[in-house]
Amino acid sequence: MSDIILRTTRLTKTYLSGRGKAQKTVEAVKGVDLEVRQGEIFGFLGPNGAGKSTTLKMLTTLLAPTAGDATIVGHDLRKHPQKVRACIGYVSQAGGTDTFSNAYENLILQARLYGVSQTVAAAQAQDLVTRFQMTEFATRTAKSYSGGQKRRLDLALGIVHRPTIVFLDEPTTGLDPQSRAYFWEEIMRLKEDGMTIFLTTHYLEEADNLCDRVAIIDHGEIVALDTTEALKRQAGGECITVGFNHESLAEQAKVLFGGVSFIQKIIHQDFKLHLYVQDGGAMLAEVLRILDKEGIAVQTIGLSRPSLDDVFLQQTGRSLRETGKE
Amino acid sequence: MQQITDTWLLFMRHLKKTGREPMWLLIGLLQPILYLLLYMPLLKNMPDAMGNPQTMAQTVRLFTPGMLIIMGMGGLFAGFSFIDEIRTGIIARWLVTPAARLSIIVSLVANQLVTLLLQCILLLVVAYFFGLEVPWGGLLLTMLLVMMIGTCMSSASYAISLTVQDEGALASITNTFYLPVTLLSGILIPINSSAPQWLQTAAQFNPFYYVVEGSRALFAGNFGEDKVWQGFVVMTAFTGVMLWLALRALRKMAA
Repeated sequence: MSDIILRTTRLTKTYLSGRGKAQKTVEAVKGVDLEVRQGEIFGFLGPNGAGKSTTLKMLTTLLAPTAGDATIVGHDLRKHPQKVRACIGYVSQAGGTDTFSNAYENLILQARLYGVSQTVAAAQAQDLVTRFQMTEFATRTAKSYSGGQKRRLDLALGIVHRPTIVFLDEPTTGLDPQSRAYFWEEIMRLKEDGMTIFLTTHYLEEADNLCDRVAIIDHGEIVALDTTEALKRQAGGECITVGFNHESLAEQAKVLFGGVSFIQKIIHQDFKLHLYVQDGGAMLAEVLRILDKEGIAVQTIGLSRPSLDDVFLQQTGRSLRETGKE
Repeated sequence: MQQITDTWLLFMRHLKKTGREPMWLLIGLLQPILYLLLYMPLLKNMPDAMGNPQTMAQTVRLFTPGMLIIMGMGGLFAGFSFIDEIRTGIIARWLVTPAARLSIIVSLVANQLVTLLLQCILLLVVAYFFGLEVPWGGLLLTMLLVMMIGTCMSSASYAISLTVQDEGALASITNTFYLPVTLLSGILIPINSSAPQWLQTAAQFNPFYYVVEGSRALFAGNFGEDKVWQGFVVMTAFTGVMLWLALRALRKMAA
């Protein structure tokens, strides 16, 4: 199960933006190194504009890398894009369903573009319609589908040819919680079938619940990469978040806590301090006592187990939950 | 072989889409009829090059090739619905499959040609009732030229669309291009010896001038005229270049 199915080395994409003297080089992806293992769900977590989609477009042959290399299912991305295409599936953010066709027509055409005969394509389309519970609406043109129904067809289109690895770009963005839960189940089922899944997301819960391993990307660079468990463990035992009503108070408190031995790590973010400790319940009282003694007014206080957001926070000084908001 | 299958599969998909939006097809078909009904009567009393008044049959024979060419040039507007398709992500989805890029472009162009053929047939039927008389050979060769124009113009439109990906930009580019090319080709008013010298010279540099003149010669049954082979040579070269540009733009598309 530990076979490497995708490997990138210093994968880079730079754009030229603007014209004339104002022209600048924008580094969308800066030398990304990744290894994706056979059969895992690999998550690419980061805020909007971090370079997730750009990386995915390079890996799916839509965009030529500026520098670096990638090997996907044993094929060199730059030298043999056609061979790469035959073994990958891709579901873009836009989806790309043909709204003038129904689900069957969409699926059959997609399968046939992979060189499958009409009979086989029709059988595969029927399988997927049943599997993704699309029977009810599959004969209507996709124009009439709801967001969740359309997204189901998008996913089915991405896997109709049974790719070795499927790339999902923000698969659940814009879906209601119910559809999202349904999607997560379907993605888990794909994994059970032996498919490798590479998805991008800016939802912490998605990365946490779904992914075996996660790469956290910010400003085109990978800032952390490991299993979700290991990442959270690195972040520390528990997190006490103290909110103040002024930034100067937060700074004052930061200096104060700097000399406290039970606090393993302190992250200062605007009006808030994140304190990473071992025995959170007991330390919460201790933190309050210290602040009270110095006369620093506390506005809010909370205790949480570290999440992937804490990992992001520690690496970038920003919270993904806040930057990720649209 | 797979490339031919892919082209066919995609072409059938586009055809189905055209069929499912019959309103656009009908509006497209209305165009040639409007041209003949509103434009032809204006020409009825126009004298020929010798200054003699022409019969309706002569006028129709002179202007039907131009009308056919205008239909062909309408391919320039193919990009509008295409930009919409780019936005839905469907083009990117096809680009990730092993389907050849050329199949994608050719299937789109072929679909345009079907609509164009319908428009031309309708126009010829109406022209027939206006008294059009034309040798079959001349008609078929002209139709071949018109299909090349359709290919050339829709390819150009796809190339621009893929590059700008914006309807507003496509509209200003095509309109800027369309008017001088149409007028300088003599489609609407023939550029004969009564035109100012500079305009005649300018027309020599317009590839469509040769096509229009060539197709008029074909309609008149003068197969040996220089403009005929010149028209074919110019159009073959232009069609090739535009197809290549469209293919290149598709390869470089910012998905």
